[in-house]
Amino acid sequence: MTARGAAPPPVLEAHDLVKEYRRGRVVDGVRLTVREGERVGLLGPNGAGKTTTLLMCLGAVAPDAGSVHVLGHRLPAGRPAAMRGVGFAAGYLPLPDRLRVREYLRLYADLYGLRAPRAAVETALEHFGIGHLATAIGTELSSGQRTLVGIAKASLHTPRLLVLDEPTAALDPDIALRVRTGLLDLCARHGTALLVTSHDMVEVERLCERVVFLAAGRVTADGTPQEVARQFEQRDLEGVFLHLAEARDRERARDGAGAGTETGAGAGTDVRTGAAEREGAGAA
Amino acid sequence: MSAVEASDLRSPAAASAYRVRAVARRHWLVLRRSPHRIFDVLVWPVVDTLLYGSIGLFAAKATGGGTQTGTGTGTELGTGTAFAVFLLSGTVLWHLVHQTQISLATGFLEETWSRNVIGLLTTPLRGWEYLAGVGLFALVRTALSTLAVATLAFSAYAFDVTSLGLGLIPVAALLLLCGWAVALAVVGLVLRYGSGAEALVWGGLSVVMPLSGVFYPVSTLPGALQPVAQALPTTHVFAAGRALAGGGPTPWRELAVATLGTVTLLLLALFFLGRMVASFRRRGLVTRYS
Repeated sequence: MTARGAAPPPVLEAHDLVKEYRRGRVVDGVRLTVREGERVGLLGPNGAGKTTTLLMCLGAVAPDAGSVHVLGHRLPAGRPAAMRGVGFAAGYLPLPDRLRVREYLRLYADLYGLRAPRAAVETALEHFGIGHLATAIGTELSSGQRTLVGIAKASLHTPRLLVLDEPTAALDPDIALRVRTGLLDLCARHGTALLVTSHDMVEVERLCERVVFLAAGRVTADGTPQEVARQFEQRDLEGVFLHLAEARDRERARDGAGAGTETGAGAGTDVRTGAAEREGAGAA
Repeated sequence: MSAVEASDLRSPAAASAYRVRAVARRHWLVLRRSPHRIFDVLVWPVVDTLLYGSIGLFAAKATGGGTQTGTGTGTELGTGTAFAVFLLSGTVLWHLVHQTQISLATGFLEETWSRNVIGLLTTPLRGWEYLAGVGLFALVRTALSTLAVATLAFSAYAFDVTSLGLGLIPVAALLLLCGWAVALAVVGLVLRYGSGAEALVWGGLSVVMPLSGVFYPVSTLPGALQPVAQALPTTHVFAAGRALAGGGPTPWRELAVATLGTVTLLLLALFFLGRMVASFRRRGLVTRYS
């Protein structure tokens, strides 16, 4: 954990989130706090529960247990008020068919309740260097361009919390740099907090000052990238990621071999330590 | 970028109004750029009018009712002519409920097809604002469709729908509400069951059509089905419409029963939709559209 003096107020507080689907418990007691101006990476291998956690933090999925407060509003009841200060974009989401980029941004500027939507759209187009795409239809854009438009959409109202799910997954390095620069500038100038999920650990180390690792639905580490790497006796976040992915695979192999059918987190493997616990690993 | 302060945001009431308008505008833009949707809005309604108008005219001629199908023109209605009038008035009124239902339901489907559901859920947009926006769009689309049907009925078969008189206003309003109620239920099913329920958008009302006595009194239905038909609010609305088309006075009693039934149907549909939205969030079904 990072040591803090007078901590800025939280923009997101999630307490003891639990979510269970038919296939088992996918989020298991997650606690997550993001403070004003903080840039946080929510990381973990596939199936760790990142997207479900993110969707619960946005009020799009109801937790089975636990609570979420965004900008002081408890979700889901306070979702409309909370979302006035939240932006969301995901690298995997397409733009709506048959809408031009400017029309799409205008739609969202109106949905956010901006008094001067046209000016906000033009500013966002300029800020992310996508003015030349303004009249293009969503389906005509490359995946990188779509991502840029999505992030421009999410930051139209200069949100206090910007949530990005895999934002740079499809971007060329130069575009990724432009996105990163734009995001860092947004955070620095307006104190916007950032919550990002990504599989690109290098990107995360450049963008985030704090990372929260999930594995099997639980928070397994929370601190600066350096602190987390040290905790797992790894050189960097990529090492941590690979370590957790291996632990997950061992777990799955053990479950598949019939050594217990538990699918929840921590079924014999302590992913918090530098080396995976070997108990029962013979089945893997 | 400049920081967005409270002063940069509209007042809550104004923001709501603009959100409703933004949703309606979004769907209008999509309609304008979707030539294939012209079939739903104009082509099928025109085809129906041609079909039922010509059948009615043929029946009128076969029974010696002449070619004049218009009401309120001073022409006394023969059996065949009355049949033609019922067919044409039924066609116009049916398209009111059908277009409203299909416009609202496909409006929501558009969000699922374009995977825009998560985007909408992560804005301050409230459920009622979204429904009002799509409802507004549905109203415009229904107006276009009904105008096409009414114009063809008048120009090709001399049937003037306005000759039904002021009683047409409550009849049309009730049909719009029935269309919305069915659409809300269908949207609820699509939320809960996904694309498997999409067929109901186009086919759901087809089940209601024969039971509602769109073109005939429900007394002509098999006896076992008549109580079912009487329980449908649409049956009473169409009965009122038929009474007006037959040149009778406004059937207030029938309209009162229809209003009671329509309001009940609408409340049930809203309740059902609310339950389906809760289930949608609880089951994490939004990930279908991510």
